[in-house]
Parts: sequence; structure tokens; C-alpha cells
Amino acid sequence: MRSFAHINARTIDEAIALLRRYRGRAVLNAGGTDLLSTLKGEYLSRYPEVVINLKTIPDLDYIREDDGLLRIGALARLSDIVRSPLIISNCRVLADAARSVASPQIRNAATIGGNLCQDVRCWYYRYPRHIGGAIQCARKGSGPCLAVKGDNRYHAIMNGKRCFAVCPSDTAVALAVLDACIHVSGPEGDRTIAVTDFFGPLTNALRSNEIVREIEVPKVSGLSGQTFLKFTVREPIDFAIVSVASVITREEGVCTDVRIALGAVAPGPVRAGKAEEMLKGNRIDEEIAARAAEQALAGARPLSKNAYKIEIARTLVKRAILK
Amino acid sequence: MVVRTQKYTRKRARETDRISLTVNGQVCTMEVGTAPHQIDPAHTLAYTLRETLGLTGTKVSCDHGACGSCTILIDGKAALSCMTLTVECEGKRITTIEGLGDPGTGALDPLQQAFVDHTAFQCGFCTPGMIMSAKALLGENPSPTEEEVKEGLSGNFCRCISHYHVVKAVLAASCKGR
Repeated sequence: MRSFAHINARTIDEAIALLRRYRGRAVLNAGGTDLLSTLKGEYLSRYPEVVINLKTIPDLDYIREDDGLLRIGALARLSDIVRSPLIISNCRVLADAARSVASPQIRNAATIGGNLCQDVRCWYYRYPRHIGGAIQCARKGSGPCLAVKGDNRYHAIMNGKRCFAVCPSDTAVALAVLDACIHVSGPEGDRTIAVTDFFGPLTNALRSNEIVREIEVPKVSGLSGQTFLKFTVREPIDFAIVSVASVITREEGVCTDVRIALGAVAPGPVRAGKAEEMLKGNRIDEEIAARAAEQALAGARPLSKNAYKIEIARTLVKRAILK
Repeated sequence: MVVRTQKYTRKRARETDRISLTVNGQVCTMEVGTAPHQIDPAHTLAYTLRETLGLTGTKVSCDHGACGSCTILIDGKAALSCMTLTVECEGKRITTIEGLGDPGTGALDPLQQAFVDHTAFQCGFCTPGMIMSAKALLGENPSPTEEEVKEGLSGNFCRCISHYHVVKAVLAASCKGR
């Protein structure tokens, strides 16, 4: 890795002040599992001069219950989320999603804030500088998205715009289905963003010098069935081809609350609103599950090599409903 | 706030530019800076262990957090030393493969002995990482099931396909095996 200056931040405000002082020349480091490969590959247009360590901010790794809500500090590690009794008993789908991430070693280091803010896995975007030079693309601010004409087998099948890379975060899919929101802090104060609004085609909703501070998750009724399904090429250390999270509450066989989200199909997690409406108030059987799965993928517009993802997504949605 | 740059290294009192970590029970205090004998802020823990401290038992294969060869223990938990910055390990307790055996008698750790007894390796490049992951697993869960062993070692890859023997060795070294 090329050298950089390293600063340990003591508070969130100090980290924001440092980001302001270095004006785009500083990057934030939490678990480091994504940032370090970014720095080693040197594929971004600008190599950072400063790395700001957030792990030295005390008490930002909490997982606590507060008035019907779960509050998760941005520095909570994925391994803590997997094991947390509070999360397992109130929103198990998040624990399942966190368990599906990478490997035990990475889960010991990776944080929930970092998992949400990690950069995309597009192979054109992440093409390393030392093998013939980094590749320019729409996401880096110049030229077209190379996946459109190139090999796009792992790219978006819906909502892509200028950049067709998908959101690689598994926890984002679970948080979308849990109606969670993200609290961010910045120079202009704090604000709250719904998880589904956090992701966009070219970048996330963070404005310059903003930092994710906390994830707020409404508790889910203990009676509801929660499912997280992830299709990958290999089981550990792999990003999803498609993932699906669902929270389904049934009373006497009739669906009273249905929430379904799809991951790795678009620049962010996608809620299947029409499929949810279709299931609400009905008894769930094979036939309605198949129709809802069809509906969930109705908006898909695949690129040249990724239509196969539609079929996988349909199957996962159907399985999640019937589970 | 400690700013670590070359400029500051020259200007500031030396105390502020030191980092202290415990490696295999020994406290290592090193200077931070960009001179050849110093710890560069961009050095990974794997680099520091191998190149600065000479502990070459820790192996680096992919250097991108995908293979598990460089696994070590940080405060008892399995971690990837290639994805950890040394300057962020201030005050941490690091255990590498060199720290497992008994330095006085030279006796192997029971887990290492189980790997020998089950010939749980072929070329051996992934073995230090495998053993450290297994050590962390047994530290948390002294009698894991076969499934739990597989899950615990899911971040370690072996290109010689020694996995079957590794699982047997770890099970043998666990409480159940004794």
C-alpha cells in the first residue's frame, strides 16, 4: 500500500472536522475490510492522503433496546450482531444476514456502518491499477458504465442508471425489510435516512463530510416469520448473486403483515411493494407465492448477460414466502 | 489526536510516535514513521509481523482478506493480519502461530499436535492460518460439532484439499476428542 497519514479520531465531531479539513483527501476507516482492498488496488481516481480511524471513538459499538426500537452503533461488529440476544429475539433476519457475510475473521472486524457504506464490487470499477492501470467509468466520474456493453453477469437487473453495479451489502437487505433507518451526523447537524433511500446508482445518500452514526431498527413481532436467503457461487466469502429477506406475520393462516426485499439486483435493496400488497390479507399457498414472485420481478430490465438473475430472484422470493 | 506523517515524525517528541502491542506475550514498542526501521501507517500487521518482527510463520497469500492464510489472534479473536493496519493495533494482544507452543520446552500446542497426528496439511502454506482460526474457535467453543468446525474454518482456504483432515484434527483436539 502507498503511504498515507493516519489519524485516530476520538469523537464523531472530530472525525467530521477532519473530513472537512482535508476536503475529500481523507477517508474513514472502521473495520478496514473494504477500505484496505480499495487502497491496495489503487483503483480510485484519487489516492487518499489521510486515513481517519473511527475505531478509537469510544462507545459507538452498542446494541441496545430503547422504547420499542433497537439502536445499533455504527461500530458494532457483524460478529456481535450475529450473537446479540437482543437482535436474535427481535429481528433475527438481521442476525442471519450478518452471519451470511464473508468469513468469521472478516465478521470479527467488519462493522455494520462499514457494511452499509462499502463500495460496490463491479469488476470494472475495482480493476487494480497495477495490472495495466485503473479503468475509468461513470462511477468514477468519466465515461460510460462499462458493464452495459461488457460482462455484466453480476450487475443490476433493475433501477440501474449510469452505473449498473449492485449494492453488495447483505445487512442492507435485512434492514430494508425491517423498515430501519440510518442516523448520520455531518457539519450541518444530524439527519435520518431510511435504509431504502440510502443507496443510489452512483453513490450513497451521504453528503460530503457526513458519517453514519447509528442504525435504528423497529422491533418485529415475535410471531412473524423472518427469512434471509442468499444465493452465492460459493458459500463462505462471497457476495450475493441475489438475496431476499422477508418478514411475514400470519394470523390463523392469513397474512396480516408482509415485507419482502431483494438484494444484489439493484443499486440498493428493493422492496417488493406490489407483491406485498398481493399477499396481504390472503392465505399463502404455492399459487399465490408464485404470482407474488412474478410480480416482485415485474420491473426487471436485465442487461445482456444477467437475465438468469431474474429466475433466481423469483425462486428465492417464492421460497421466502412459503418458508 | 495523533497525526502521523513524515513531517510530524521529525517535529514531534518521539513518545507520541510510538506504538506498543503485545506479540506472543512480549511487548513490542515500535516507532511510527516512514523511515526504513519505522512502522509506516500503511503497513499491515502481516507485513509488520513478517518483515519487521521476523515472525514469518504467518503467511500472506491473497493479501485481500479472501484466503485466511494470514489469520492471527487479536485479543483472542481470529483476525486477518493482511487487512489490519499495524498502527491501529495499539495496546492489542496479538498471538501468532509462533506463540502457540511452549517456548521453554518446545512442546507443541495440543492443536498443533493434532494437526501433525492427522497429517492435516499437504504443502502446509495454509496451515498456520488454519490452526489460528481453529484456536479461536476452540477458545470460544471448546467442544464444537463437525458443522461448527466447518463454519469456524470457512474463512480458510486450502488448495491441496486438506480440509477433511483439518476437520478431523480440530475435532480430535477439542474437548470431545480427549
